[in-house]
Amino acid sequence: MTSILPPGSMLSQHLLLSIAEQIKLPLIQISRQAEFGALGLETDLGQIKALADNGIKLVESYAMGLQLANQNSYELAPEAVSVSSVLYEADQQLRELARLYNVSLELNIRGRFEPVLAHRQGLQAAVVGLASALIEALPAQNSGQQTTLQLATHRCRYGIVAGVYADIPSLSSDALKRGRKLYGVSRQPLVEVSHNPAAGIFVADAIFRAMHLKLHVSRHHRLYGLGVVLQTSSQMALV
Amino acid sequence: MAKAKQILLIEPDNILGQTLSGALESAGHKVIHVATAQDGVTMADKITPDMVILELQLVGHGGIEFLCEFRSYKDWENIPAIIYSTVPPLEFRASRESLSGELGVVAYLYKPNTSLLDLLRAVDNNLARKRELSADAAA
Repeated sequence: MTSILPPGSMLSQHLLLSIAEQIKLPLIQISRQAEFGALGLETDLGQIKALADNGIKLVESYAMGLQLANQNSYELAPEAVSVSSVLYEADQQLRELARLYNVSLELNIRGRFEPVLAHRQGLQAAVVGLASALIEALPAQNSGQQTTLQLATHRCRYGIVAGVYADIPSLSSDALKRGRKLYGVSRQPLVEVSHNPAAGIFVADAIFRAMHLKLHVSRHHRLYGLGVVLQTSSQMALV
Repeated sequence: MAKAKQILLIEPDNILGQTLSGALESAGHKVIHVATAQDGVTMADKITPDMVILELQLVGHGGIEFLCEFRSYKDWENIPAIIYSTVPPLEFRASRESLSGELGVVAYLYKPNTSLLDLLRAVDNNLARKRELSADAAA
């Protein structure tokens, strides 16, 4: 059967399907936690709020990715952005989720970096999406062990890298390439990394693509992760 | 007082794992929670559980692979397994016989529409059934 939809719409449909699968998780978590009262146990309202916020962020990031792709929002104009401040704010947004998943969240923004030219909100939403997906995935790889996720930036030959890193040797370029082909089709496009659709990663991928950037597998010291290379803003660096 | 039954819970999501463990423990069961199929086999070797509850979507080896491995050991072939998964049971319609037959799945519960109370009921019913079968076999 031939699709009457343009290729971009098909991409959005796959992304939407991936998000629909992903959003089940926080809703099930909330629903089961809400049932605790019926069993004579104490319902954790703080946990319910954090899980709901996580679901809302995923949906908002998806909407932002679409807006960026359509370029129909004046609010998303590129500006000079400090990568360190974006990572700092992402870290603040992710603290509670990381605590719930017993993941130690570290911020590694040491060093002086020039501003980069990017959509600040888009960059932040993408980083939060990537990190949320990995926060959920890390404990699924090691039963009971506390794991660490770093939000980090470093300089490379082509610019400044912003990324999220952990001890995940299975996160390879091939795995990401396969995942890109499988998302929206498979329930676990990144089966080596995540037990769920990892929609946050593919939403981030779509946001970066809309910003003419490419998400890639990256290394930071001895850690493996996902990052994006950002071009420095020469004009702002002069100022 | 009856000895608490040991339940091996293979649930990759940390938060759901804690919630399910809390509910099962409140019903008087002892729960050992692991996140991966490999840890499930290792733990089963240590404790020989009375029942296994598992999600099918796991990192690396999936739940079906776990069940195939688990059932290959004679000591574990009569331990009931309950699937509690986000994968709709409809997707396993064609292989229902092998799930309930050689893989020993006593219940397939779809997470989105199975409450904690439904899960506890399924656990208790199947543990009671296992007791009856063991008593019949002993007689």
